[in-house]
Amino acid sequence: MSYIPGQQVTAIVQRVEIHKLCRGEILILGFSIGGGIDQHHSQNPFSEDTTDKGIYVTRVSEGGPAEISGLQIGDKIMQLNCWDMTMVTHDQARKRLTKRSEEVVRLLVTAVSAEGCAAVHQSPGE
Amino acid sequence: MQDRLRILEDLNMLYIRQMALSLEDTELQRKLDHEIRMREGACKLLAACSQREQALEATKSLLVCNSRILSYMGELQRRKEAQVLGKTGRRPSDSGPPAERSPCRGRVCISDIRIPLMWKDTEYFKNKGDLHRWAVFLLLQLGEQIQDTEMVLVDRTLTDISFQNNVLFSEAGPDFELRLELYGACVEEEGALAGAPKRLATKLSSSLGRSSGKRVRASLDSAGSSGSSPILLPTPAVGGPRYHLLAHTTLTLAAVQNGFRTHDLTLAGHEESPAWLPLYGSVCCRLAAQPFCMTQPTAGGTLRVQQAGELQNGARVHGVLKGTNLFCYRKPEDADTGEEPLFTIAINKETRVRAGELEQAAGRPFTLSISNRYGDDEVTHTLQAESREALHNWMEALWQLFFDMSQWKHCCDEVMKIESPTPRKPPQALAKQGSLYHEMAIEPLDDIAAVTDILAQREGPRLETPPPWLAMFTDQPALPNPCSPASVAPASAWTHPLPWGRPRTFSLDAVPPDHPLGASRSVAPLPSQRSSRSRGLYNKGPLRTWLQSPV
Repeated sequence: MSYIPGQQVTAIVQRVEIHKLCRGEILILGFSIGGGIDQHHSQNPFSEDTTDKGIYVTRVSEGGPAEISGLQIGDKIMQLNCWDMTMVTHDQARKRLTKRSEEVVRLLVTAVSAEGCAAVHQSPGE
Repeated sequence: MQDRLRILEDLNMLYIRQMALSLEDTELQRKLDHEIRMREGACKLLAACSQREQALEATKSLLVCNSRILSYMGELQRRKEAQVLGKTGRRPSDSGPPAERSPCRGRVCISDIRIPLMWKDTEYFKNKGDLHRWAVFLLLQLGEQIQDTEMVLVDRTLTDISFQNNVLFSEAGPDFELRLELYGACVEEEGALAGAPKRLATKLSSSLGRSSGKRVRASLDSAGSSGSSPILLPTPAVGGPRYHLLAHTTLTLAAVQNGFRTHDLTLAGHEESPAWLPLYGSVCCRLAAQPFCMTQPTAGGTLRVQQAGELQNGARVHGVLKGTNLFCYRKPEDADTGEEPLFTIAINKETRVRAGELEQAAGRPFTLSISNRYGDDEVTHTLQAESREALHNWMEALWQLFFDMSQWKHCCDEVMKIESPTPRKPPQALAKQGSLYHEMAIEPLDDIAAVTDILAQREGPRLETPPPWLAMFTDQPALPNPCSPASVAPASAWTHPLPWGRPRTFSLDAVPPDHPLGASRSVAPLPSQRSSRSRGLYNKGPLRTWLQSPV
């Protein structure tokens, strides 16, 4: 995340558990991702830090499993089922999220906020 | 040296003008005068502009004007030669038989030009340097017409160079040769080191990133050499940006197709040459040609048409020969008002036309017959003209059409759509790159104060008053500062007072490129943006190639 020398950094770290929804043959989570080490980071509208090549949530479908679990647009995904997501290519991230063998994905996400100090709170049901 | 060049240039302009006057060719003379005026304007603009992008645009116009002037001069010389030869009695134009048929002209349009690039992976992963940007444009020449596309900025985020506009040439023969030339210039590097002394420049170029250092060294080496025809039309500004020819190709009638096609590009230069762009080596475009015989009516008149097999006398119609069809209207006015024709006779490569003189039936002079084959059937129409001249005109028009079809080949199969090019938008003021390091081009003429100015603003409100050590520099401008990275040779003139309040726009909305020091983009205004809980979108300019996938 961005870092200004001398300024407080505040971040909210959240564990989000999403149960995939079965839509016929495919399992969907209900959000879109952007970013990756192979993408041009400066095009990322959600990151303040321009060198951040992480995976960000760019869209959350209404009523989908992601929205229900509390995932929000602009969140950065740090871990996925204990796999690191901060240094992956876009395609690797997509593949890890859409594994057919996994029905539940547990994400560690961070979001930047100005107020309050660093807080870690768990989403209900964890 | 500059004076000598300028005198030569003036003499050349005078020579060109005199030649144009002596030929009394008002059309070409007018065009030449226009180009010379444009050229003077572009030179003045180049000398006056400060921004790199403006300089690039001005240099581009200069290059285009130069090419046009050269081509007009070539044309003038050709005509002068022809005139001189004509005066001495020999007429080379009459060498062929007098009734030499020449094919009709046409419109040629090239659109949707796309040139793919082939970036090496080192550009993305190991190269943490500046985002190299190039300004490229295409110069297209057909006959004596020269046209250019808009200037496009290219960097490693683009996979192709795309030109949006379409270029139309209005008078082209079927033997046309459309020459495409791709010119490119670096946007950043040359300017930053143009004024630096040799030793520092070499030190800097060796300490820059691998690829940028090579480029800089190449540009410094070739700074002495100039482009084509330097004596005839010398470039006025030595320090300005220079375009280099990156690739070229020539397209002819064989390349025309009513769809996209890929053609090969001949690459000029190699990796070490300045302004080198990793081109894949091909260009995709849509080259369409519309011969005039397809779009304009070539003959018209009253006819009496009879279809073979009918017994009674044929209908009296007004026929219009346009493209590969002979439209027969009820009345002459119908052709203009857009009414549906009574019937249409197709005329294509397989049609056979015979003058009716041979099989003249009694009482029906001036006929010609048109036969078409539809599958197994052969349908013949007999057309009766009003007089011998009319018949002759019709025959002439039909033979011309057949000749045109043989020359323009596949362009006559069906009419290719050509959109008239939209008037070119004036070159938009390119989005100002808001990063500090772009605003802060550290040139020798720049002052130390501006650098500390920017650094102070980064620290935030802590630094209200100028630091005491700054006073040292205002009094003795010639003191080189050992810590500042690129402050160089004594500034030539310290005429302005300490520019503490020099306005520098820091727009956070612009696309922030990488900068070599890798520091975060933390400028004072940022904390206020973070006050709201909502995840504001940091507008990073046009979202170009940032992939998003639904999961």
